[in-house]
Amino acid sequence: MSESVITARHLSKVVNAPEARLTILDDVSLDISRGSSVAIVGASGSGKSTLLSLLAGLDLPSTGEVILAGRSLTGLDEDQRAALRAEQVGFVFQSFQLLDSLTALENVMLPLELDGRRDAANRARHLLGRVGLDHRLTHYPRQLSGGEQQRVAIARAFASDPAILFADEPTGNLDAATGARITDLLFELNREQGTTLVLVTHDERLAQRCASALHLDAGRLQENSA
Amino acid sequence: MSGDLPLASRLLLREWRAGELRVMLLALLIAVTVSTAISFFTDRLQRGMVTRAAEFLGADMRLSSRDPWPDEVLQEAIKNNLQHTDIVDFSSITSSETEMLLSSIKAVGPGYPLRGEVRISDEPHGSERTATAIPEPGTVWVEARLLSQLDMQVGDLLEVGYAQLRVAAVLTHEPDRAGDFYSLTPRVLMNLGDLPATRVIQPGSRVRYRLLVSGEEADLQRLRSWLEPRLESHQRITSVADDNRQIGSALTRANQLLGLASIAAVVLAGVAVALSASRFAQRHFDTSALLRCLGASRTRTLRLFLLQLLGLGILATLLGLASGWLMQAGLVYLLRELLPPDLPGAGLRPLLVGAATGMVSLFGFALPPLLRLGRVSPLRVLRRELTPLPGSGWFIYGLALSALSLLMWQFTDNLPMTLAVITGGAIAALLLGILAWLLLRASGDRLRHLGLAWRLGSGQLLKHPAAAAGQVLAFGLILMAMVVIFVLRTELLDTWQAQLPDDAPNHFALNILPDQEQAFAQALGEIGATSAPLYPVTPGRLTSINGQPVRTQVTKDSPGERAINRDLSLTWASELAPDNELVTGHWWPDLPEAEGHRVSVEAELAGSLGIGVGDQLGFVIAGTTLEAEVSSIRSVNWDNFTPNFYMVFSPGALDGMPTTLLTSFHLPADQREGLRQLTRAFPAMTLLEVEAILAQLRDILRQVTIAVEYVLIFVLLAGFTVLFASLQSTLDTRLYEGALLRTLGARRQLLRQANRLEFTLLGTLAGLLAVLAAELVTWLLYRFALNLEWQPHYLLWLLVPGAGALLIGLAGALGTRAVVNQSPMGLLRRG
Repeated sequence: MSESVITARHLSKVVNAPEARLTILDDVSLDISRGSSVAIVGASGSGKSTLLSLLAGLDLPSTGEVILAGRSLTGLDEDQRAALRAEQVGFVFQSFQLLDSLTALENVMLPLELDGRRDAANRARHLLGRVGLDHRLTHYPRQLSGGEQQRVAIARAFASDPAILFADEPTGNLDAATGARITDLLFELNREQGTTLVLVTHDERLAQRCASALHLDAGRLQENSA
Repeated sequence: MSGDLPLASRLLLREWRAGELRVMLLALLIAVTVSTAISFFTDRLQRGMVTRAAEFLGADMRLSSRDPWPDEVLQEAIKNNLQHTDIVDFSSITSSETEMLLSSIKAVGPGYPLRGEVRISDEPHGSERTATAIPEPGTVWVEARLLSQLDMQVGDLLEVGYAQLRVAAVLTHEPDRAGDFYSLTPRVLMNLGDLPATRVIQPGSRVRYRLLVSGEEADLQRLRSWLEPRLESHQRITSVADDNRQIGSALTRANQLLGLASIAAVVLAGVAVALSASRFAQRHFDTSALLRCLGASRTRTLRLFLLQLLGLGILATLLGLASGWLMQAGLVYLLRELLPPDLPGAGLRPLLVGAATGMVSLFGFALPPLLRLGRVSPLRVLRRELTPLPGSGWFIYGLALSALSLLMWQFTDNLPMTLAVITGGAIAALLLGILAWLLLRASGDRLRHLGLAWRLGSGQLLKHPAAAAGQVLAFGLILMAMVVIFVLRTELLDTWQAQLPDDAPNHFALNILPDQEQAFAQALGEIGATSAPLYPVTPGRLTSINGQPVRTQVTKDSPGERAINRDLSLTWASELAPDNELVTGHWWPDLPEAEGHRVSVEAELAGSLGIGVGDQLGFVIAGTTLEAEVSSIRSVNWDNFTPNFYMVFSPGALDGMPTTLLTSFHLPADQREGLRQLTRAFPAMTLLEVEAILAQLRDILRQVTIAVEYVLIFVLLAGFTVLFASLQSTLDTRLYEGALLRTLGARRQLLRQANRLEFTLLGTLAGLLAVLAAELVTWLLYRFALNLEWQPHYLLWLLVPGAGALLIGLAGALGTRAVVNQSPMGLLRRG
């Protein structure tokens, strides 16, 4: 078995709801090996996005431990986790999360600029060319279609050469045809860059394109997962 | 940190290009422009007014001493680039061939006066002209009454000590005589070069050596700072504000009023900055979350935003300074007919004030909302509903309040007034916020039943009652600021005008002999003058308080020192003068019978000498000693141009003392001929014209009125920016909800109606709060800072809520046009 890049041990997440304590994730353990692609699937409210946020270090579990790229997230404060993300992680979101005030090019440049990279503009231009948007560099998000916006987001996600790419319902806001093209692009880039892909979706067809799938039901990982 | 500067600049540039920063920049720009323009304008106007007031001193600053001023003082003045000239003042017997008379002699050096002008005529009561130099050596200029009393003509020789000096002209006006009501003897103005020849100055002579200096404010201030620690007890520095009560207090009030008006403008601009910063922060929660998600630490994210804020502040400050300067230059140009002709240029201070205002409002008002950006959770990229908690209320409001206090203090230079406004404002804001919330709840529940448009309109407000109450408060604050400035402009100026009615006394008559009382009153009537009562006056000196020599009880710096170093004009009266008010003690009829004499003392003097009711005061009057018990302390209105006295004795106390009579009267300008008649009939009388001071006070009033009106325009401008910023801050949600409603089939007419209703309701409530708050603030100001009588303003209670409804309703309808005009599809897709 190849080296594990994400490991979760007995993860659970409990929140205080107005009437009772709500268990969103219940004792989830998993291993994701480097270079693989894993889909986290389940119905709405099954805890998929919560699991993603814990694996990516965007949130902390109530109990349990996450080891990301060889480092345990337990004991790291928010800023240390941010540094780890900057180094290892890329994101693609359902709602694209592009900054309205930045052009397509500037949105892709942002992680590189945060990293202080001098070749930010060139690399961003290259990536936008790679996702087929070299003619849309100076357009603002509001001037782009949904599919184009998601392509910008994918270019941005790959800009900093992440080891792991987290994608949260990347085709959820797109029509079927556009969604399919975006999926192709995502897997293509993933293969080219040798990235580990962790993808949250309730779309079974998208899940099937991943090497493995983890099924969540009411916060618990199903037996037939992986 | 340094690595973030280029990135922050790039982000700022990109934000700017995308149009995200315009409202905040506009708000900051207005704050800086307004404060710079007002500061420049008032600075120049004040210096202009001070220059004119300096004419009454004959200089910008006067140094007086019992002995000649040492050479080092002169050298210091020269070193500080100050113009200077000398005056020696003394009393001496002057004589013609047949008569002798005690005269008040003033020997002046070349250049006198440094400010203002001396006027002379060729014959008594002839046409006057401005003197271009001082009297030639060997000649003097004398007052007309000296000629009549010595039976002389122009051209005759006057003996002053051992010197014989030719009378070359009749002296009709000295600039630095106007306020000095105590020079009872006729004036002789001579050349300082002739002084040694008179041989009248001997060791022990009572002489005042005065050094007049003029120049730049900073240079004067340097000389003052250098000299003050070196002053001996008999030496004194007098500048414009110290010298003349009426002009000084008019200038102070003018400053206060302009300062208050500028505060209102700056407060409003501050609110606009806060609102636009809050919108900026809200629109950047996603950016912050994304930056965090992309690996930027909390501190770095915050730093990136703060650097942008700083960049914006610097840009706004630079632009604001330039536009502020331009604006005041335009204002001065527009008002050139009304402003003093030789308005001095602007100094550097207004630039500093403008820059400080920009930075203080930026960090006081914009920082708290922006700090929220550092608390955005990176998880927001997955869950948009995660908004950061607002900062601690104490911190936010504390910071804004401190920023406000700083700015106010800076503008008014008046701590009690600043505290009155801040305390009033804070209490009002708290109470009014609660009241606004209650009103909203009460009215909202009722309005819901009136139809869909009402339900939607009030629903907007009731959705977040606390936020809506905040908005009502913000609009209320704008309206309140406008109302307060309007009320002050009207009432304060009216009060001052009332103190300077058209028939305010413009002449003082001194040295009227007691047996001429009837004749003089009759003569005044004949020439058409309206007169104040005639007061008996006897010069006397206060020598002891409760048996202790008075000199041991005052320090050099005490204001009381001035009163004990010279003869006071003492009087007696059976009635309390109309503009006097008893502070403590009783007037004569209400006192128990007693053996000794009694005296009523002016409050300020009593305060500085530590005199209280029951104290025994000792006076020396014409060589005899008089003891009197203090039976009351009086406050005196020194601004009213009628005779006022520090000491008023009980009837009979001054019997047997040598007295003359003193009064003031108003003589219309077209009846000035009567003066000649009067001086001929009463040759021993001294006549002082105060028309020039009156004219100047009226000028100051007029200029202040104009300036305040212009500041009001700035206040309005700032108010509209707040309105705009405030609308902008809720526009995003409105756009989204409007789009949703239209998708559900709402007609644009319905949305328009709902918007209008919402803002009209908001405006009415804001108007109600504004008028309540304005009443509170004006009451506090009148009571504690301006010493004016306050009365409720009933009309405003009707007008302001109506005006609020109209103004805010209209602005709201215009500002939310986009809600009914933009494509619903586009908006929903982005939601």
